[in-house]
Amino acid sequence: LFPGVRQAQWLTKTKLVEGLPPAVQAIMDNPALGLQELEERVKHAVSHARLWDTAEVAPRREQYCPVLFENLIHICRLMSGKYPSLSKRMLARNCRIAVTWERESILLQVRGLSGILMNSMSPIPPVASQEEILATREHVLETFYPIAPTIDLQEVNVYKELNDTGKSCCFRDGYPYSHPHTLFFLESANVRTNRFRPEQLRAKMLMFAFGNALAKAKALHGNDPKVLEQPIVVQSVGTDGQLFQFMVFQLNTTDLVSNDGVKNLVWIDSDQNLYEKAQCVPEVKKRVVTKPAGIFGFQPDTFKKFLALYLHGTV
Amino acid sequence: MAALGARRLLRPGWRWFSEAAPGAPSPPVSPLYPPVVASITAKSKAAKWRRLERFKQRVHAAATVEEKLRLYGKLQRPKYMVYPQTFALNADRWYRSFTKTVFVPGMPPRAAAAKPPVAAAGATPEASRAPEPGAEAPGAAEAQGPAKSTEPAAGVAPYLDVGDLRSLAFDALLQESFYQNKKRPFLYRDQDHTPGPFLTQLVSTLAAFLSGRNPLLAASSLDLKPEVNYYWHHGEEVVVHGHRKGRVDPVRFQIDDNPHLQIRVPEQLPEVVPLESDLGDVPVIDHKPSKLPLFKKQYENKVFIGSKVADPCCYGHTQFHLLPDKLKRERFIRERLEDQIEVVYRSNGIASLFAWTAAQAMYQGFWSEADVTRPFVSQAVVTDGKYFAFFCYQLNTLALTAETIKNNPRKNICWGTDSKPLYDVVEDGKVKGFNDEVLLQLVRFLLNRPRVV
Repeated sequence: LFPGVRQAQWLTKTKLVEGLPPAVQAIMDNPALGLQELEERVKHAVSHARLWDTAEVAPRREQYCPVLFENLIHICRLMSGKYPSLSKRMLARNCRIAVTWERESILLQVRGLSGILMNSMSPIPPVASQEEILATREHVLETFYPIAPTIDLQEVNVYKELNDTGKSCCFRDGYPYSHPHTLFFLESANVRTNRFRPEQLRAKMLMFAFGNALAKAKALHGNDPKVLEQPIVVQSVGTDGQLFQFMVFQLNTTDLVSNDGVKNLVWIDSDQNLYEKAQCVPEVKKRVVTKPAGIFGFQPDTFKKFLALYLHGTV
Repeated sequence: MAALGARRLLRPGWRWFSEAAPGAPSPPVSPLYPPVVASITAKSKAAKWRRLERFKQRVHAAATVEEKLRLYGKLQRPKYMVYPQTFALNADRWYRSFTKTVFVPGMPPRAAAAKPPVAAAGATPEASRAPEPGAEAPGAAEAQGPAKSTEPAAGVAPYLDVGDLRSLAFDALLQESFYQNKKRPFLYRDQDHTPGPFLTQLVSTLAAFLSGRNPLLAASSLDLKPEVNYYWHHGEEVVVHGHRKGRVDPVRFQIDDNPHLQIRVPEQLPEVVPLESDLGDVPVIDHKPSKLPLFKKQYENKVFIGSKVADPCCYGHTQFHLLPDKLKRERFIRERLEDQIEVVYRSNGIASLFAWTAAQAMYQGFWSEADVTRPFVSQAVVTDGKYFAFFCYQLNTLALTAETIKNNPRKNICWGTDSKPLYDVVEDGKVKGFNDEVLLQLVRFLLNRPRVV
């Protein structure tokens, strides 16, 4: 997706809000979480993933990106000692998603492996208030005339529109953890050209979050396009091992054919660095150690946002 | 006068010049020649011995553990590759003799103070559903529903509900095998398709669930598919062919293991039995290791527990091993080797745990010349997705080389169970024949922690 998030916004009829929603901010600022003690553990987690995990000198991105993600999720999961309802979550890897919708007479579809999905038994409560939802009516979606909004999308002949969560969203009926909570995307290719740029990663996150939310909405309310009374919220985190992108998407309407009316909302917090540099071997210039081995420029705020998104919906 | 003077002259042991005062100690007799020791470079047994001594002094005097490990594995020679997961017949007897391990069937007797005696109630979950009156745990959400067991003395929220644990296990199992639509498994990769993800889910959710009770779990580090390596010498042999033919060499072994899941903790698990206890015999095998079959290769001598020395979580807690498709039960039954099924689990447990505990000991600076002063304990679960076997290993000695093993009465000990099924079959979204014992044993393993003194 070339212009990235703007194109994704048009395709999903979404309004963008910078920063994270106030509910998530409130979790972050809550002192009862004990985030200070966690800092030490997060530093160890990062050092383990970037420095200590391998018998070689330095692990490659294909190795350290998933390991870092696993370590962070492990720390988040251990919080369920304090919040027992956190155990009602389940991770699903290699989830396939397939959802179709119409957008001004263009039939669009999201398909493919949607990274790692975390499901929960209870849905996340809507983040934006009713007034904000109604205010989106006035918002005009920006178009990029003369570029058609479907640029860079693959045109495929679709013979079967797959929509229901049953077959397309990779879980059968009766699955107890039926609400998609957070999607995680790991850009772990070793070669830089195989990885998504941050802008494109954000667009990908938006499209998949929208796809999951739409599939859930169609499962709950049927296939008719309408404005939802109970908006569906799906979160998304994307990383390449160092930069983190956080996103909270709220689906307010499945009426996507027309360009006006209530729009969906997305809050994006982009390009959060967890640490500046991870030095595996001490840098020595002229026999003097200039930089010892270790992690430099650690930012605990990024992990706080990660944890806040994880705890959102149960705290 | 002259006679007195003559007597003074004639008294033996007295010097007759005036410098020596009678009571002063004589100056230390410095050796007139340097010490007579064997040469370093000669082609003799004494010279070889001296070179070995110099090498041992170098390793003892190494400043950091990394330097010690580097010197320990510096010389590369052909060595036997020991595979923990092997189809060789009676491999566990051979592995026990290589690692000087005694195998004790069953689980070690746990001191009652360390565990919640879940089995002490004895009754099945249904029978103890009647709510116990004293069951108010302060504000803990775990006290929803009936309580099953108590932690003696210190527990704040002591009750562990088996129903919760069972539902976690059910959810993990059903998600992986039933609810999630997956493509068909790749050829001979059945284990990656369902049991692998099931094990990961089960362990991670159980560990998170139990972290409230076990503070060690709350500080632990969970690794997926780490590497565990260990290199050691045991016994002697004569080099058969090549330019070194005829020389007596130690027999070198290397284990390279890839457990499915590993939990490492910053504190050591407590010892199960004292360091010098003798619980059985180590099998003695008169054949060469290559008869097992075991093959030699020369490559880097690695000692690795799963992360480098700088990691604060340097002690091991529990490892989880998944048996590959090659070693599944149906194959053994088809080839009429039913008794070898248990051998597979045992050899995997013994070899992997020996490698892990010995590597942990080396990370603390012990090696075959500097034997361990405290026992290292770790646990492992070997499974093929349905059948689980539990092992606990206590490393008492690292001194396995030909000369250090002569006067070493200590033996390593491994406790292990037979493999038991966790469930019978999964059908239509229901799990049939679930075995609570296996789950409770797993929970007991995860709750293991140093006794609070």
